[in-house]
Amino acid sequence: MADPANTKLGRMLLDEITPVVMVLRTPLVEESCRKNGLSLIEMLAPFSNFNNIDVPVRTASDQPYRLRKFRLRLFYGSEVRQPNIEAAKERLKQVITFSGDKDISELCSDPPDIESLIATSKQELVPSWFQNFNKELIDVVAFSEHEAFDHPVACLVAVSSKDKDPIDKFVDLFNTNQLPPLLNDGAMDPKILKYFLLVHDNQDGMLEKASGILTEMRSTFGANDCRLLCINTSADGTEEHQGTLWASYKNSISNNKQYGCFLNADDIEELRSTMHDFSSKHIIPHMELKIRVLNQQISATRRGFRNQIRNLWWRKGKDDAPENANGPMYTFSSIESQIRVLGDYAFMLRDYELALSNYRLISTDYKLDKAWKHYAGVQEMMGLTYFMLDQSRKDAEYCMENAFTTYLKMGPSGGRNATRCGIWWAEMLKARDEFKDAAGVYFRISGEEPLHSAVMLEQASYCFLLSTPTMLRKYGFHLVLSGDLYRKCDQTKHAIRTYRGALSVFKGTTWSRIRDHVHFHIGRWYASLGMFDEAIKHVLEVLACGHQTKATQELFLRDFFQIIQETGKTYEVLRLQLPVINFPLIKVVFEDHRTYASTAAASVRESLWQSLEEDMIPSLSVMKTNWLESQQKVLPKKYKESNVCVAGEAIKVEISFRNPLQIPISISNVSLICKHSAEFDETESDANGFSIDHQNDKELRAVSNSGEFSLDTSLFTLSEIDISMRGGETILVQLTVTPKIEGSLKVVGVRWKLSGSVVGICNFNSDIIRKKVTKRKKKPKQPVKDNLQFLVIKSLPRLEGVVDNFPKTVYAGDLRRLTLELRNPSKISVKNLKMKISHPRYLIIADQEVMNSEFPTCLRKQESSSESCTQVDAARAASSLFVFPETTAISSETPLKWPLWFRAAAAGSISLYITVYYEMEDESSVITYRTLRMHYNLEVLPSLEVSFQTSPCSSKLQEFLVRMDVINRTSSETFQIHQLSCVGDQWELVLLQPMESVSSLKLLMAGQALSCFFKLKNRRTRQSTEENTFLATSGRADVKLVDGDSTGLYDTYISPFILFHHHERVHQEKQEQGHGGTVDFILISESRSGSDAGVASKSPIWWLIDGPRSVRHDFSAAFCEINLSMTVYNSSEDVVSVRVLTLDYTPAINSATSAASGSGNEVGWHDISHVSEIKVTSDVTGVRAGKAPPSTDSVSPFIWSGTSSTRLNLEPLSSAQVPLQICVFSPGTFDLSNYILYWNLVSSGGHDADGPKVSSGTCQGHSYHIAVLQKE
Amino acid sequence: MIVCVAVVGHQNNPLYIQSFTESDDVLKLHHIVHCSLDVVDERVNNPKKSGPTLNETFLGLLYPTENYKVYGYLTNTKVKFILVTTDLDVRDADVRNFFRSFHAAYVDAVSNPFHVPGKKITSKVFAKRVSGIVQTFGLSSAG
Repeated sequence: MADPANTKLGRMLLDEITPVVMVLRTPLVEESCRKNGLSLIEMLAPFSNFNNIDVPVRTASDQPYRLRKFRLRLFYGSEVRQPNIEAAKERLKQVITFSGDKDISELCSDPPDIESLIATSKQELVPSWFQNFNKELIDVVAFSEHEAFDHPVACLVAVSSKDKDPIDKFVDLFNTNQLPPLLNDGAMDPKILKYFLLVHDNQDGMLEKASGILTEMRSTFGANDCRLLCINTSADGTEEHQGTLWASYKNSISNNKQYGCFLNADDIEELRSTMHDFSSKHIIPHMELKIRVLNQQISATRRGFRNQIRNLWWRKGKDDAPENANGPMYTFSSIESQIRVLGDYAFMLRDYELALSNYRLISTDYKLDKAWKHYAGVQEMMGLTYFMLDQSRKDAEYCMENAFTTYLKMGPSGGRNATRCGIWWAEMLKARDEFKDAAGVYFRISGEEPLHSAVMLEQASYCFLLSTPTMLRKYGFHLVLSGDLYRKCDQTKHAIRTYRGALSVFKGTTWSRIRDHVHFHIGRWYASLGMFDEAIKHVLEVLACGHQTKATQELFLRDFFQIIQETGKTYEVLRLQLPVINFPLIKVVFEDHRTYASTAAASVRESLWQSLEEDMIPSLSVMKTNWLESQQKVLPKKYKESNVCVAGEAIKVEISFRNPLQIPISISNVSLICKHSAEFDETESDANGFSIDHQNDKELRAVSNSGEFSLDTSLFTLSEIDISMRGGETILVQLTVTPKIEGSLKVVGVRWKLSGSVVGICNFNSDIIRKKVTKRKKKPKQPVKDNLQFLVIKSLPRLEGVVDNFPKTVYAGDLRRLTLELRNPSKISVKNLKMKISHPRYLIIADQEVMNSEFPTCLRKQESSSESCTQVDAARAASSLFVFPETTAISSETPLKWPLWFRAAAAGSISLYITVYYEMEDESSVITYRTLRMHYNLEVLPSLEVSFQTSPCSSKLQEFLVRMDVINRTSSETFQIHQLSCVGDQWELVLLQPMESVSSLKLLMAGQALSCFFKLKNRRTRQSTEENTFLATSGRADVKLVDGDSTGLYDTYISPFILFHHHERVHQEKQEQGHGGTVDFILISESRSGSDAGVASKSPIWWLIDGPRSVRHDFSAAFCEINLSMTVYNSSEDVVSVRVLTLDYTPAINSATSAASGSGNEVGWHDISHVSEIKVTSDVTGVRAGKAPPSTDSVSPFIWSGTSSTRLNLEPLSSAQVPLQICVFSPGTFDLSNYILYWNLVSSGGHDADGPKVSSGTCQGHSYHIAVLQKE
Repeated sequence: MIVCVAVVGHQNNPLYIQSFTESDDVLKLHHIVHCSLDVVDERVNNPKKSGPTLNETFLGLLYPTENYKVYGYLTNTKVKFILVTTDLDVRDADVRNFFRSFHAAYVDAVSNPFHVPGKKITSKVFAKRVSGIVQTFGLSSAG
């Protein structure tokens, strides 16, 4: 380590622990000095500091040494006392405030990077005013009685030559009344060295008089102790001095006055020689003398073994003395005081060895006396002496710590001393590069006084920063602590400064809670200082604090808006974090030659459309052969990459906003930022060195008015959207920009307004590109679609297409006629329309004549139906590309309507894609053709499920039996089966049952099933044997299953049927191949919704039998018992009494009254032809094997074995279960319809006047089939 | 009573920090944990006592603040566990036991295939288990 005297602490000690000279003067002296703008002390101060005094000093030892640096501290007599605490506090505060004001300019700059912070040297780092502050703190405890180094060594008595009776004045000045308490109360020797100075103002002339007084003085006070000082020799007051002479000693604020203007060079020389004389000839010899005297005295009384013992003995005896709070009072004459004075004098004269030995001697005494303050003071000095001797670091530290803790132990009275001791201690540690320990000391100094603590904590934090290894986190933490305290004392500027320092620590870390706290408070404090730009910058950092609690988020947001409000300006903030934009979700939809009918169509994958349009649009190679044609068609090469869009057509950009907070926020005026350049050349140059706005550099800017907008509106229009977001919500926003003029357009970014006060801007370009760079490594080819650069070409016709009344949900098999409507809003007409549909199984194009005819009657059989057309249709069906007739060039205002056939082929959800191709009449355009893409989603619900079983008829070779099972799978719909047709010329279909018996049944309720039997004849082979007339009469391949005349039959040979059949066939062949010789049937049914209501009105109850449908039982063992349950539901508003009556005979009696009376007899299983029946069933599946022989007698093959009659009351709109049981004696299939439900309304209180209500009724049982089989 | 436990990743990023006090001194505890990392760094970078303590994961008392004692633990993967307690006389064995079970809980939590290494631990099971360990810590030291 370097010389301790050159360290900071060393210099400090050499400055502070120096002899004190008490100055007494008359008012006239002061007046003379004031002419120069200086007090007497101030005037003398520069000359009481000697850098090279070179005085030989001989203290206790006989070896003299030379003193180089020396300094006197001058104080007025009135100042030599313990300073007023309150005044000192005020002064400290001033120091801090003053330095705070000075720093304000730095507050605007960015906080330094943490790495650079470490690199900076400590001088730069630690604010310089700390030194001033520490000095002020030390001065607070000056002139305490227990330390001798602040006791005046000498007294300088100054009297002006203008004073009357100067000699008396000299005596008067040293009057005890005005002397400081130290001298009066006996803490120090009142007999101190006096030096008499006669100050003469040369402006007053009368030098003779002054010299007269001097001689008088000399005779009175002694020749050596008197001196004449002449000042103000310069008459005009224009003397110039080096500004530094007084500047460093004068700390008052008024700097404008020229100090020492009346002092010429002679005066200054005289001042210098006076002070030099005073110190070298009087003070130093005096001190030397005193040291020698005291040393001898002490050696006599205290040194040596005998004296030690005696001293101990004597001290012991004093133990009983009552303890004073401050310990015993030591007067100047006591041996303890003298030792202390000796030590301090030796210290001041740099004889540290002597000082140390004396301090050691006295320290034990004080300790034994329990004079803690004195003890601590001595320990402190010992520590400093050790330091100055640069030996035994441990001892030095031990002494300092001892002193520090002793001061603290004394309670509040020692606090200030402890502070001083701590500052010295910390400085000592710092001088030895033990910064960590120094920080600990600073931390301990910080006491109750918040302002002191703040400064101390800040100093501690810098120590942490300077320590090795650097303790950054502690640095930050202590800065935050200190900042809080500064803020408590209203030192906002200091608070900001410390927090900014802390911010550099927390900036890059993930300790978000701390970081938010720091940012938020800095922001607030800036706002309180009125520096709103900075405030907003910091508060912005914490806005997107999703991790904080809701209350905190609200607080942050509220304060943010408050700050914004206070500024009264609208701010534009780049990268506003609220709401967050999810970048990968930005999607751009634009239309070049591809146009979309709906947004749903736009979201479909491009490859899907491309495959659909493959053979429709002219291929690229065709385009390229056109190079001879017209040059302007070829795009500038630059724009091969950029997208083409059409003027007047909107570009849609989808952006997803996410609210990271838990509290709702409202966003308004969301719109895109676009850049339009009208000319091609300009953009080309622009595209090379793309320098967008300079907004990147500026994070924040205030906009006065949206002046730039008005310019832009002529080039393009933007859509504006207002949204409000709930907490944590993500909203997809679609924004559009519509260019109006040809040129090039670039979507630069998006802007929005948060809560109507802050404008947020997000620049896509910079952010996306940044992301792309990382992405590009993996995926070199970027989809062109993401590019936000557009080439705007002049407006083109754009067809708008819609399919009218396209159903959302349909039942399977539903056949509808739809209308495609194409509209061309522009003036330019289009031509060469083509259309393609993705799923011809569902949707086909009809003939235009269909438009005019009525549906579905147009499908009915016409008398003059020609079979030849079927072949044409089939051919057309083969190709899915439909070319509109040449005439259908649509121009503006006349929409083209074209019918479509729709059939829901299979259940499930299906997406239909329709694309329409058209060409421009205007050949000159860049784009010669466009496609309109339409997309529809629909849900197909299951409806009728039809299955057929054919088996060859055994009786006739060319005939087949066909069983058709139809089940209604819907939940509510009712269908009427209308017609069954088979496709092809060679087939003939005949119903096996009589028409009447079937027809009424064909109303299929929800969930109902139905079976029908048909006979199928192959006509092709029969044709040779039978007459042609038969063909005509028995119809062809159609069987009508509904009442009515034969004209109601649908013609299955006309376009929709035959086409759909074709596609269905194609579809099925794809699924299962190699299935020759099939017959295709077409079942036509009509929806009859609403018939449910009709049934319900007749009877308030309905019921359901639940039980096994097939049972296997070994009849050789016993008869079979089957348990069933009936659920009865009361759908009326009244309580209904229901009686279930089971009958063991077929109820024929009620057929006339029953609701389902028409079917009463026919319900269930009927054998039509005994012989064929059995054979068919056995042939087909065997499921119905063992059909019971028809019951000719009244005894049924089963009996109801449970209670034959059950009565129950049903609450309104409730259901109940009735257990049923049957006994079966032989295997077979049984119809359990032979029961009756009688019902009557019990509580018919509400008999209305408008008509008698049916209050009772009888219901015939539903058919319920159960198959009982012999168990093998 | 344990007032705070924390898991800090090897880049000194907080992975999990949970305080167990009613009063609103979360920020303070964050600061304390954050500061204690300095001490952990110091201990790790210049191990004065090599030899037996070389492979020791338990770092011992990091530093006493005014009202708290802070203990540290360093796993092999340089993940730090910090424990802040208000008990002024804590047996080292207790703290060791605490850290051992805490380490086990941590290992289980990060073994979850859905946990992203280096990201915050959001597992509720882990939080529940930690609070269980914290509660038993108080009991064992009392008994």
